[in-house]
Amino acid sequence: MTIANYYRPGSVSEALDILAAHGADLLVIAGGTIAMPLINEGISLPAEVMGLRRAGLDTYTRRGDEVILGATLPITRLVEQTDVPMLRAAALRTASWSVRNMATVGGNLFAPPPAGDIAAALLALGATATITGRSGTREVALDDFWTGFMTTVVAPDELLTSISVPVTSAATSFIKFGRKRDNTPAVVTVAVTANLDNGIVRGARIALGAAGPHAIRASNAEAAVHGQPLSASVIAAAADAAAAECEPFTDAVATDAYRRQMVRLFVARALTQLDASASTQGREA
Amino acid sequence: MASVIVNLEVSGRAVEIIAAPLTTLQSVLRNQLGMTSVKEGCRQGGCGSCTVLVDGEPMMSCLLPVEDVAGRKITTVEALSTPDHLDPIQRAFLDNNGYQCGYCTPGMEMIAKALLEHNPSPTRDEIVDALAGNICRCTGYQPIIDAIAAAASAGQEATR
Amino acid sequence: MSEETLSVVGQSVARSDGLGHVTGRDIYTFDRTFPGMLHLKIVRSPVHHARLRGVDLSEAEKVPGFVRALSAADVPHNVYTILGLIGVEPEEEFLLTPVGERVRYKGEPIIAIAADTEAAAIDAVAKVRLDLEELPAVLDMDDALAPGAPVVTHWGNNTFMYEGHNCRRVRFGDVDAAFAKADYIVEGEYRTSPIEQAPVETTGCIAVPAENGRYTVYTNTQALYFSLDNTSIILQVPGNQLHFIGGMVGGGFGGKVDVIVEPLATLAAMKTGRPVRYVFTRQEEMQVSSTRASETIRIKDGVMADGRIVARKVVNLFDCGAYSRQTPYSITKFAANAAGPYFIPNVYVDAYCVYTNRTPSSAMRGFGITMASFALEVQMDKIAEKLGIDPWTLHFINAYHNGDIKPHRKVVEDATLIETMQAAAELVGHELAPELKRMTSAPRSTEGGR
Repeated sequence: MTIANYYRPGSVSEALDILAAHGADLLVIAGGTIAMPLINEGISLPAEVMGLRRAGLDTYTRRGDEVILGATLPITRLVEQTDVPMLRAAALRTASWSVRNMATVGGNLFAPPPAGDIAAALLALGATATITGRSGTREVALDDFWTGFMTTVVAPDELLTSISVPVTSAATSFIKFGRKRDNTPAVVTVAVTANLDNGIVRGARIALGAAGPHAIRASNAEAAVHGQPLSASVIAAAADAAAAECEPFTDAVATDAYRRQMVRLFVARALTQLDASASTQGREA
Repeated sequence: MASVIVNLEVSGRAVEIIAAPLTTLQSVLRNQLGMTSVKEGCRQGGCGSCTVLVDGEPMMSCLLPVEDVAGRKITTVEALSTPDHLDPIQRAFLDNNGYQCGYCTPGMEMIAKALLEHNPSPTRDEIVDALAGNICRCTGYQPIIDAIAAAASAGQEATR
Repeated sequence: MSEETLSVVGQSVARSDGLGHVTGRDIYTFDRTFPGMLHLKIVRSPVHHARLRGVDLSEAEKVPGFVRALSAADVPHNVYTILGLIGVEPEEEFLLTPVGERVRYKGEPIIAIAADTEAAAIDAVAKVRLDLEELPAVLDMDDALAPGAPVVTHWGNNTFMYEGHNCRRVRFGDVDAAFAKADYIVEGEYRTSPIEQAPVETTGCIAVPAENGRYTVYTNTQALYFSLDNTSIILQVPGNQLHFIGGMVGGGFGGKVDVIVEPLATLAAMKTGRPVRYVFTRQEEMQVSSTRASETIRIKDGVMADGRIVARKVVNLFDCGAYSRQTPYSITKFAANAAGPYFIPNVYVDAYCVYTNRTPSSAMRGFGITMASFALEVQMDKIAEKLGIDPWTLHFINAYHNGDIKPHRKVVEDATLIETMQAAAELVGHELAPELKRMTSAPRSTEGGR
């Protein structure tokens, strides 16, 4: 099937009109880094495609105590403009320079695991998705954004338009473990934010990537550290809890068993790094 | 089918092309404009052999609908040399044996060009980071890194 | 000739293709396009093992841009076996699988479709209906050799036959007697995976009708003459009707020696009268094109307390996949080198070419020897560790000398392992014991025996 039309709306409302006219048959792309490989290989054969590059969603705004990321903000622009260390770290660990110039922050929320490292960081940061339809906008916490593998709460007549990230003074730690140093799908990704009050954890969010059908919270691990100091035994208990509660899968990159072991290892490492400094970001390969 | 007319600048030349919907920049450059330095290795954005510069920024042309770069300035390796003159990056690749089969070479040179424009004095680590999206199956990468490092110091020498 | 008269040796000489590579002006196979060029895409088996009961092209033929489908009936001599050129039997693989025959690996070609555009060809391929009666498949070598395994070949067992034997055999001395006298027995099992060569440029060619009934084929094969000769045999046309142009290859490493695209593309050009482009997508390159064979190498060595290896028994299973292609040749090379660059007086090798329903394997860098080296050298490390012997000493003691007989009865000439190790030791700053420094590769008789 050759592609009949490629729509390039100049605004969100124009985009929503096109969506309404074509419904579920319309493939929506932004950076194209997920969809174009499938179209090029003949795996995806859409009749109609809509690209969002011109729709005005590529902004980065600081507003009071939150940062608003436009859904089609290219990842390179995020790196250049953000002062949120965890976002910068996750962005730099995503793909390669050329792909980062094209891929978008919002697109990362739709990336199939093991991809979606920025999604894991956003989940740890407590971000909220803004979803727009013709009847208006609604906000959905990222905790509730995904409903399963490659499925989200975004309805066929809606678009993800922005993601807002609360500015935090929490300590943060981000580790992506891949089989090579860069441009590699994750074996596991761990993103942690924690409010530390005199060494006691007052609230932690531990997000895992490549360890489930989408980015997930390791809530049992979070409970294990809440109200505790980050001692070796507390960290070990949290790491064990994360390993038990995650839902890893086997693919060409790693087996589920190996991913589970790496969740344990890197949750422990991320929590340890958290303790060592207020905000540390790193790569593991 | 709704083909469109797209105007862009490619390696210093203003061009007007007709493209079917979602035709990639890679396809236009190779098949319509004869810019065959732009290679095709995977069409997945994974090998980097299709790398071109869009307003100076490296992108994977195999993933880029040509309509999305209408009005932009595209640079390919064809722009780097004339019959009498090689870009210092190309001279450095020659002198440091930064190639074997040559298939990844244009993509490597494009990334090198972008890198040295952004960062004229990169560390070896920064060169390696920049090359993360470009695969070479022949050289083991060291001669390519050497070539880019050599081009960087030649550039620094020239500006002194 | 004195050194002053040498103008190339010892000089840094620019490569002749360097300028073209760095300016991007060298023309690779698919940098070419021709007016009216058709795109060839292949209907491939979606399952590991099945009997092909029928093919329905009716929906595919309706796709706008569809031009021609090729099936087994269109192929004049429908046999693909690269070693057939040098008389190696059996003829076991089809270019396109006929109805009634079995497909033996996932990805095996059944129908070729030529269309005006790549998209139309992909579309038409997707609309071909195959009637396949799925059969049990075997994907593991030990399973393939077990009684009751699904049989891949058409001669009833899952091994290539070497002159009536089910493996390539080397018999030298008496390993059982030597094992009985050995001070130590050291065993190891070494497994390697199939490895895809993954050149950045995928495999492919463009076949173009030329003048006087000839065809020009632009190809990135590593084996231009093999390709021309095989195409001539398969299409039953004289070699002088084919003009093969190649040599500008974007990486091969053994992945472009299988002559897998030229016969079909040329046939399509003959049947349509138009240029035909057949190039592997990256997915085809990974899954369909041949890989280095996976191997399971089991070594049992008999070693004396002083470190001399006196006996070696090797059983090696090579997974050739669904068709043997070049693997039997690779195994012969392996068998000849199973003792490594060492003198071992008793050697027993059984090297099997095992058929499974996997993608056929074939050549890759060091074909047959690379994985042998891996296994043998890890085995040497194991021996050194078990005996508590310095690894350098172990290698020197066992290194072969000129005049030694190798297990396949070849006399060693130009041995340089000892000298190479001495140079390596110096380079890394390792001080060798004096007796090791004194050794040479000269025949043992000149050094007073072993």
